[in-house]
Amino acid sequence: MSFLHLFRWFSHTWLSCTMRDSTWGFAIVEVGHLLALAILGGTILTLDLRLLGLGLKRQPAASVAQAVYPLLLGSLTLMVVSGVLLVATDPMKYYESGPFRIKILLLVIGIVVHFVIQIKTAKNKTEVIPVWTRGAAILSLLLWLGVGVAGRAIGLV
Amino acid sequence: MHLLLHFCQWLCHTSLGTAIRESTYVYPIIETIHTLATVLLVGTVVIVDLRLLGLLLKREPVSQIAGQLLPWTWLGFIIMLVTGLLLFWAEAEKMYGNPAFRIKLLLLLLAGLNPLIFHFTIYRRVSTWELAPVTPTRAKAAAFLSLTLWSGIIITGRAIAYFH
Repeated sequence: MSFLHLFRWFSHTWLSCTMRDSTWGFAIVEVGHLLALAILGGTILTLDLRLLGLGLKRQPAASVAQAVYPLLLGSLTLMVVSGVLLVATDPMKYYESGPFRIKILLLVIGIVVHFVIQIKTAKNKTEVIPVWTRGAAILSLLLWLGVGVAGRAIGLV
Repeated sequence: MHLLLHFCQWLCHTSLGTAIRESTYVYPIIETIHTLATVLLVGTVVIVDLRLLGLLLKREPVSQIAGQLLPWTWLGFIIMLVTGLLLFWAEAEKMYGNPAFRIKLLLLLLAGLNPLIFHFTIYRRVSTWELAPVTPTRAKAAAFLSLTLWSGIIITGRAIAYFH
């Protein structure tokens, strides 16, 4: 099944029809998407800054990673759920949107990169942050910035 | 407040206001920075508030969490303020009549007063409670209020476009 088939199928589901017909559905879900974004961004920033020796410097990196993990999982879940609901309002429009495709690509890579450093850091019992982790933290910040910009561009292009 | 309305009308018709408003790229770029810098400002506030509510980094002193994260919050605030002012400058007349914008400004004022009061009252004694298993109720109340106000600011900020 190609992505085209997937999005076409999605546009015929009950969920998509309900979201499309709802007056306030998009607005309410979008607000949820923005609120969850603030939280997700906060957790990503907190960990990535710490790995670069910024922000919560005095706390062990492992403690910071362990502290933000539930928040990371929860806010990311909310982002994905609200994101799917937003796409449901007009799946074909998003399928054809260049910024949307870029956003999803960056999102997938960003999730992989960030979860690798999240899990590695939570298990790091030393005070030393490996060089590759610092590089990955910068990469993570850039990828997520890209996700944000691409997401905003969806509405502009 | 006719004076205020006239000021807003004058402001958005200045050459700077007009240039921003009529440009193809400048307004969307400023607006994108404004939307994304929210993450820097509110994201760091959320971590500090959750610490005050005793929901994460419970064994770390509150003053250390706040002291190390709030400079980033301030950086976010400066970016939000500058971009927000430029956006307002370009659309001042429309913003004057926009109910979502007015409520957002009120919430921003309250969101500024809340930590100010907190800082000069319960936070002055932070060294006495920052490692306690349960943070004082007043600290929790300030944190809860902060989360509520910033959520409201995000919501009304998004709603501005619906009243434009």
